[in-house]
Amino acid sequence: MDVEARRIMALSISKLYSSRTQRGGLRLHRSLLLSMTMRAARDIYHAAVEQEQVVPCAPEEPMDTKEQDTVNDSLKEVNTREPKDNLEEDKENQDSKSRKRRVKTAIEPDFLPPKKARMDTDEERQEVLKPNNGNGCRQTETLTAFPTNRAIVAC
Amino acid sequence: MCVCVRACVRACVRVCVCASDIISTVEFNSTGELLATGDKGGRVVVFQREQESKNQPHRRGEYNVYSTFQSHEPEFDYLKSLEIEEKINKIRWLPQQNAAYFLLSTNDKTVKLWKISERDKRPEGYNLKDEEGRIRDPTTITALRVPVLRPMDLMVEATPRRIFSNAHTYHINSISVNSDYETYMSTDDLRINLWNLEITNRSFNIVDIKPANMEELTEVITAAEFHPNQCNTFVYSSSKGSIKLCDMRESALCDNHSKLFEEPEDPSNRSFFSEIISSISDVKFSHSGRYLMTRDYLAVKVWDVNMENKPLETYQVHDYLRSKLCSLYENDCIFDKFECVWNGTDSVLMTGSYNNFFRMFDRNTKRDVTLEASRENSKPRAILKPRKVCVGGKRRKDEISVDSLDFSKKILHTAWHPSENIIAVAATNNLYIFQDKVN
Repeated sequence: MDVEARRIMALSISKLYSSRTQRGGLRLHRSLLLSMTMRAARDIYHAAVEQEQVVPCAPEEPMDTKEQDTVNDSLKEVNTREPKDNLEEDKENQDSKSRKRRVKTAIEPDFLPPKKARMDTDEERQEVLKPNNGNGCRQTETLTAFPTNRAIVAC
Repeated sequence: MCVCVRACVRACVRVCVCASDIISTVEFNSTGELLATGDKGGRVVVFQREQESKNQPHRRGEYNVYSTFQSHEPEFDYLKSLEIEEKINKIRWLPQQNAAYFLLSTNDKTVKLWKISERDKRPEGYNLKDEEGRIRDPTTITALRVPVLRPMDLMVEATPRRIFSNAHTYHINSISVNSDYETYMSTDDLRINLWNLEITNRSFNIVDIKPANMEELTEVITAAEFHPNQCNTFVYSSSKGSIKLCDMRESALCDNHSKLFEEPEDPSNRSFFSEIISSISDVKFSHSGRYLMTRDYLAVKVWDVNMENKPLETYQVHDYLRSKLCSLYENDCIFDKFECVWNGTDSVLMTGSYNNFFRMFDRNTKRDVTLEASRENSKPRAILKPRKVCVGGKRRKDEISVDSLDFSKKILHTAWHPSENIIAVAATNNLYIFQDKVN
């Protein structure tokens, strides 16, 4: 399952990247579906990886029941994290209930493209819609691009 | 059901498919006399049905090219550094009110109103210019004459009468003409705008589902349509698989729906791709206005407008693809947007599939048929043979296995004549027109 999840995650990311250079610009519908699929695969992949990392520890060391419960609680917290969270996690403001060291992914997945500097990563593009509706049912607003860059980075 | 084929092939024979020739929309006008197609190259081709002739009875009802024009050109948005494709996403005819024909055509950003009119007379006998149009020397004019209209070869000209632009941030996916014949709506991924057909510099936003924070975006609008005879009612479908019906009398801004049509997901079918395959690609009111039809990736559903919690009928189009979703995700086919159409009496549904197959479902008899639009299998005036996909077990001689299906040959766009059993099927860059068996 985690192999398939990883494959789907890699596929989704590459499709998201290639859709940015598509003629006609980013397709919002397609990007949304890709990022939803990618997130679903990511969640399953992470859960599977974390489970694999925890299981080998258990037979080596006899753990206190209390300690084991704490590790399980941490895992549960990670797995049930809301999908709507800001994908660029602020590590300083993590849930203060558990101060135990979280189980982290040791190695960055190799399917991620190498990080490189790029412009306009955090700022949304700002532009003003040319006023069209004279009666102004809706007030003029600034337009923002769909932030697929954030969806890609957080893996 | 038997279908007698009259093939009307739009493009000349080519081995490779030119991308700009790919048909992107097909639409009959309200009488069925005209059939319009739009393609990826921004062109519109209008076919007209031949009048019945006693001398040539076998040519009854054939469609011939009536007019061709370039509706949209590629544009460049300098602010966003993005190219705007010229592909025609939708064509909608206006009801005919005089001798001329009017249609709306749209690409991703701009809607245009086109007037198609015939000219079979031209004025002759001008005083100030000669027959070639050159200005005459005034000193040579000794007498005054009244110009007269003389017959000429029929000429069909298309002129853009209105251009509705700068109202959509996202890509337009639908247009729908209201039954009041005064307004129409254009729909993009997040908003629906209402226009008056006469006014191009102003539109009213009636639906806006854009969240304040785009990171919270969970659904987009995929299609929208006005009710066929209630000018205050329209529906729009979403990528989450729901359909919302709105009444413009309730409020000017229809963000809150009047009815929500949604079927709970079957948990046993849950997969990575559940969101994608539940996204609705097309929604159509029946001609009566009593029913709604929706198309998602694998099925067509008929809803009663008075029953929101589940569809009245569900028809599986190609359920054998359910086990192939991963491959279809890989080759992008899972994102294909199939359309669906009603026949004139709302008793039969039609939609496309892969391998140039298209399917019809009879709501009364519950029978269905799979047919193929291909040159090899469709000789003019031959009867189409039903096709069958083998889903497992031993394959019969005339069946095709799922693994042999050609996923590059897809039928996304079809149209049904408003009153007769004549259908138009777009297969990549070819247009097939089929009609009932003629006795």
